[in-house]
Amino acid sequence: MRSSETIPYPHLAWRLYSVWYRHMRVYTKNLVSNGLPPFLEPLLFLVGVGLGLSRYITESMDGMSYITFLGTGLLVTTAMFTASFECTYATFIRLEFEKVYDGMLAAPITVNNLIVGEIIWAGTKGLFFSFAVLCILTPFGIVRLPQALLAPLVGFLTGVMFASMSLLVTSFVKTINHFNFYMTGFLSPMFFFSGVVFPVSNLPKPVQLVAQIVPLTHSVRLVRAVCLSRYDPGLLANLAYILVFVAVFGALAVRRLRRRLVS
Amino acid sequence: MAVIGVDKVSKSFGRLRAVCELSFAVEAGSCFGLLGPNGAGKTTMMKMIYGTAARDANDGGTIEVFGFDPARDELSIKYLSGVVPQENNLDDELNVIQNLLVYAKFYGLPARVARERIASLLAFLELSEKVKARIRELSGGMKRRLVIARALLNNPRLLILDEPTTGLDPQVRHLIWEKLRQLRSGGTTILLTTHYMEEAFQICDRVLIMDKGRKVMEDHPQRLLEQNIERYVLEIPQEHAAKAIDGRRLPEAVRVDHAQGISRFYCDDLDRLKVVTDMLNGQAYYLRQANLEDVFLKATGRGLNEKQ
Ligand SMILES: Nc1ncnc2c1ncn2[C@@H]1O[C@H](COP(=O)(O)OP(=O)(O)OP(=O)(O)O)[C@@H](O)[C@H]1O
Ligand SMILES: [Mg+2]
Repeated sequence: MRSSETIPYPHLAWRLYSVWYRHMRVYTKNLVSNGLPPFLEPLLFLVGVGLGLSRYITESMDGMSYITFLGTGLLVTTAMFTASFECTYATFIRLEFEKVYDGMLAAPITVNNLIVGEIIWAGTKGLFFSFAVLCILTPFGIVRLPQALLAPLVGFLTGVMFASMSLLVTSFVKTINHFNFYMTGFLSPMFFFSGVVFPVSNLPKPVQLVAQIVPLTHSVRLVRAVCLSRYDPGLLANLAYILVFVAVFGALAVRRLRRRLVS
Repeated sequence: MAVIGVDKVSKSFGRLRAVCELSFAVEAGSCFGLLGPNGAGKTTMMKMIYGTAARDANDGGTIEVFGFDPARDELSIKYLSGVVPQENNLDDELNVIQNLLVYAKFYGLPARVARERIASLLAFLELSEKVKARIRELSGGMKRRLVIARALLNNPRLLILDEPTTGLDPQVRHLIWEKLRQLRSGGTTILLTTHYMEEAFQICDRVLIMDKGRKVMEDHPQRLLEQNIERYVLEIPQEHAAKAIDGRRLPEAVRVDHAQGISRFYCDDLDRLKVVTDMLNGQAYYLRQANLEDVFLKATGRGLNEKQ
């Protein structure tokens, strides 16, 4: 006998929100230790590397001063790193050691809700970290308001993109040390070869090609465009890349993690 | 009316069959106990009921919970049920009330309703003083009660508890039994697993003993006792028993088994067991009523199997 009763469990948006809310509450529990570093790190970076180094770099890069070039790049790399950490080490710990997900899955949410909620949360962290960088760049006059206010949105997209990829990586990982390969073997090189620290246009052709393929390049282009209000139709391709990337990697991550969460 | 109907359900992990063509029904408002040695498949069976394990597909097995199939309507089932998993999985980073508030969100409870419900649940489980405590500061018994409170947040019609009292002291155990009895009187259907035969005897209306994924027996606990085991048991260390009995004839209808250093003599007639004690020349012995544990051991064997 199939039940004809309709059960008033929360709708999809609420279920995603409740997953997001759980992560947000845990994160904001330690507001000082979690909330301060996103501001301090870019500050140190700018003072140490930017101001110190840029005296020697007088050539403009892609038509902007070096400090603007580097600063705008940081707006998205910070989102990349925070989302990647969240969806590798932190996710793995919740999955394997704390059994947090087992508890959550006994409530009326599905595995899909859980993973998508996690991705949206990582995106939110990306947004917040971008915003923190923005708060540092603005008083130095490195970027201008109001146009740069769009940068955290690019941070959100970047966070979502790296969250879906990181979750896919996590679905393969058996011991937590394996993430070191992903971090130093993939994310760190990307930091250098995606046009954050220097433009890729002068690099050898094969390296340029690789730079076109990796995700960070597309975030960097978008964020520079919004900060400098330099819009061109090519940006649509960057945006499309990000959206397709999220859809594909997100779907793969859901499929593989489902097998780990539901036996 | 049955709240849970399980019919010929199996679950394989690769070549291992953790649950094997299991069938049972849990009546509304009753307390149903799943018993079985480690690795019998109890947890796996429960997870299939609330949808975090998938039963083997296309083998004719079906599960219905409130008329919903967990493979298709897990959200409806989860909304109507509360789950206490085998391992406590509280959020260590949050305190007691935050744990419950975060969880209340999953049910869409408005904040004010959630706070009221949390206050009454903490009082019900005698945790009111711990509202602001960190999880690490709680004793094992408090953590367990908090997980039970969490499972009760949405006033579930079905409460699923996987070993609710394992590792807890007798006081806490009795408290939890009392609370479960109260919930059942209030109309909540309860499905639990346990290794404590006394627990099954105290609170279950019906128990199912399973072993290696299969049902061994199922009945009201009292009837299981009456129909599957003699009324009395005499336990004697095996070496003493061997020496004392040594070739002598035992009274009629006395059954013996020897395992793990103890000889056990079973009989419905106390006097006949007394005849055996008289042969002992003053050696120590233990004469008692048979209990569910004896039935359990008879049904599932005394030795360990490869899954335990
Ligand atoms: N995810 C899994 N992958 C592979 N095998 C599993 C998995 N979960 C359980 N098993 C196996 O299935 C069998 C039944 O396990 P289950 O946890 O259901 O037993 P149980 O009756 O709950 O035992 P216990 O009393 O120890 O809790 C065991 O042999 C176990 O090793
Ligand atoms: Mg178990």
